[in-house]
Amino acid sequence: MIDLSIAVRNLLRNRRRSFATFIALAVGTSSVLLFGGFSANIEASLQTAYVRAGGHLQIQHRDFFLFGSGNPTAYGIQDDLKIIQAIRDDDSLRADITVVTPTLQFSGIAGNYDAGVSRTVIGIGVVAADQSRMRAWNGYQLPQTDPPFVLDGAASDAAIIGTGVARVLQLCESLQVSSCPKRTVQAAADGAAIPADIAALAGAERDAAGPRGASNRPKIELLATNSGGTPNVVSAQVLKAEVQGFKELDEVFVMLQMPQAQRLVYGRMQPQATSVHVQLVHSDRIDQVKKNMATVLERVAPEQSLVVRDFGELNPFYVQTIAMFGTLFGFIFVLIGVIVLFTVSNTMNTAVVERTVEIGTIRAIGLRRSGVERLFVLEGMMLGVAGAVSGALFALLVAAVINQLGLTWLPPGSGGPLPLVLLVWNDKFMLLGTPLGLSLIATLSAWWPAHRASRLGIVDALRHV
Amino acid sequence: MTMSNDPQPVALLSGVDKSYRLDAVEVPVLKRIELLVRPGHFTVLLGPSGSGKTTLLNLLGCIDRPDCGSITVAGCDIGSLNDDELSDFRAKNIGFIFQNFNLLPVLSAYENIEYPLLLADASAKVRGDRVPKLLEAVGLSDRAKNLPGQLSGGQRQRVAIARALVRKPKLVIADEPTANLDSRTGQAILSLMRKMQRRYKISFIFSSHDRSVIGAADDTVHLQDGVIQRIRRRQADAPFEDTSPS
Repeated sequence: MIDLSIAVRNLLRNRRRSFATFIALAVGTSSVLLFGGFSANIEASLQTAYVRAGGHLQIQHRDFFLFGSGNPTAYGIQDDLKIIQAIRDDDSLRADITVVTPTLQFSGIAGNYDAGVSRTVIGIGVVAADQSRMRAWNGYQLPQTDPPFVLDGAASDAAIIGTGVARVLQLCESLQVSSCPKRTVQAAADGAAIPADIAALAGAERDAAGPRGASNRPKIELLATNSGGTPNVVSAQVLKAEVQGFKELDEVFVMLQMPQAQRLVYGRMQPQATSVHVQLVHSDRIDQVKKNMATVLERVAPEQSLVVRDFGELNPFYVQTIAMFGTLFGFIFVLIGVIVLFTVSNTMNTAVVERTVEIGTIRAIGLRRSGVERLFVLEGMMLGVAGAVSGALFALLVAAVINQLGLTWLPPGSGGPLPLVLLVWNDKFMLLGTPLGLSLIATLSAWWPAHRASRLGIVDALRHV
Repeated sequence: MTMSNDPQPVALLSGVDKSYRLDAVEVPVLKRIELLVRPGHFTVLLGPSGSGKTTLLNLLGCIDRPDCGSITVAGCDIGSLNDDELSDFRAKNIGFIFQNFNLLPVLSAYENIEYPLLLADASAKVRGDRVPKLLEAVGLSDRAKNLPGQLSGGQRQRVAIARALVRKPKLVIADEPTANLDSRTGQAILSLMRKMQRRYKISFIFSSHDRSVIGAADDTVHLQDGVIQRIRRRQADAPFEDTSPS
């Protein structure tokens, strides 16, 4: 107890130096935590976006992820509705799952018959009501709500396209897409003109779809090769052009109602899905649900080579981004740790020099070397704990203020600005680990000067001027 | 070597040499020291600056080790003790009074006196009993809460005396305790030390280059160039007996 009291008083004795060290520790700790909170926000925002769009898990054919982009329909899941029902009914899964929904991915050509332009697209058919529910997921309680899903409750031939598709198909004006530059040169160099035979097929589909002008929505024609290898065309009315974040995706994205997509790809054949999206209540249940789901698939569809992939496997960008921020966090922590190490070490070294005679005195009086060591280590530890705890509290305060300000930012790959939220409080491991780690570094930094102090010869220390 | 009628000397130095290295040069400070410190006596170490007084006190205080020879303090051969044992030994048997007082500046007068007891894990009752008594004995009861910086030189030295006595040591080492005080305060401190030595029946050995302190001493040891020139011992109610080594 007397050691503690002496340590506190010695720290207060040279207030300016102690305060400078304390501030260095507090600023260091709060910097690490605020950056950690920002990283956590990136992770939560990205994860929320991916989970809303594609669920936590997807059931796919084993080869679909690696080989399916060229010909998605070759990797269809048979009896997808039976599988979905089995998952919904399974006791080990029911409590963890919010949405199970089929999707159908296809590749084809989208054309604007009136403008005589077309482009290749990657389309996806979805069950709009399920997608709408998936978009409500908010596992991290972020102030981030998606706009209403326009396909939900819309006509069976409704579609959403990327703004890039709208641009190429010259639909910006009719879809009221802002910041949509017009080409300066009218050229067919990008292959935008529709081949004659395809145009004829599209015209036939358009005629079958009904008279033009029945709806104010612009219409496009979608051409795809069906699973039997023959071309098929459907007409779709475009409700909206949505920014897709990445230019590459924005220029090929088309989303249809599931029955419309299945009609395009499978015609009159038995429709299939290319993926079954599964959204969970909590992300931390992914591993367990994945395992249980594999068991269900083994039981329900043993003849199909189906696998369950989580959103991390399906979105390498997410994993890479999280890894990058993890590395940055580690780098900053090490950087701050080194600063703390040298700051505390310097403070304690100076204290040892200044208090050399005192060290000699207390050693003469009978304090063991370990006692001297303890005194100085205790001082370093107290500086570390005080600075780190204050830094953590400051970080929480700053985070609370920033979170209340309602700031937004545009992360790479995002379709729109996201709320700038610093999730310092949410990551308890980081919140406790950072101050603890820096306190430990401060304590270790004090150890060497303390050890040096304890090794001073008593006579030499008493003679010190 | 000087012998005494006392059965158990508080300190006994035999054939002690000590030298220091200054750059590459070995400087002998003490040579063939033979000394017996009588228990319960007030011993003064006299000699000019550089005569080896402080070095001899350091050896007696067990804060330094001799190059050769043996040192026995309170019946213990200190050469056989490791550093921790030596620390414990000092804490229990030796009190120190320094020329510059060497109080811990962050502790009050009361706490400075209490500190050696805390090192010994003395109970609160023991501490609460001894510290106020010593404060009173050195006349500083009203200054108990003052920090050293708020005390005069003489008051600080009185706190240091109380601190040296609080664990009831067998030997108190005082290295020129009056050197940084004016002559009047120095005399008062000397009287106080003598008074305390008599009250607690503790052996005091202190160094001085001031020959006027001889009158207060039981024994005087004269050092010159690291060699004991003369030892004079006062027998009870008798004049000094010259027991200089041959």
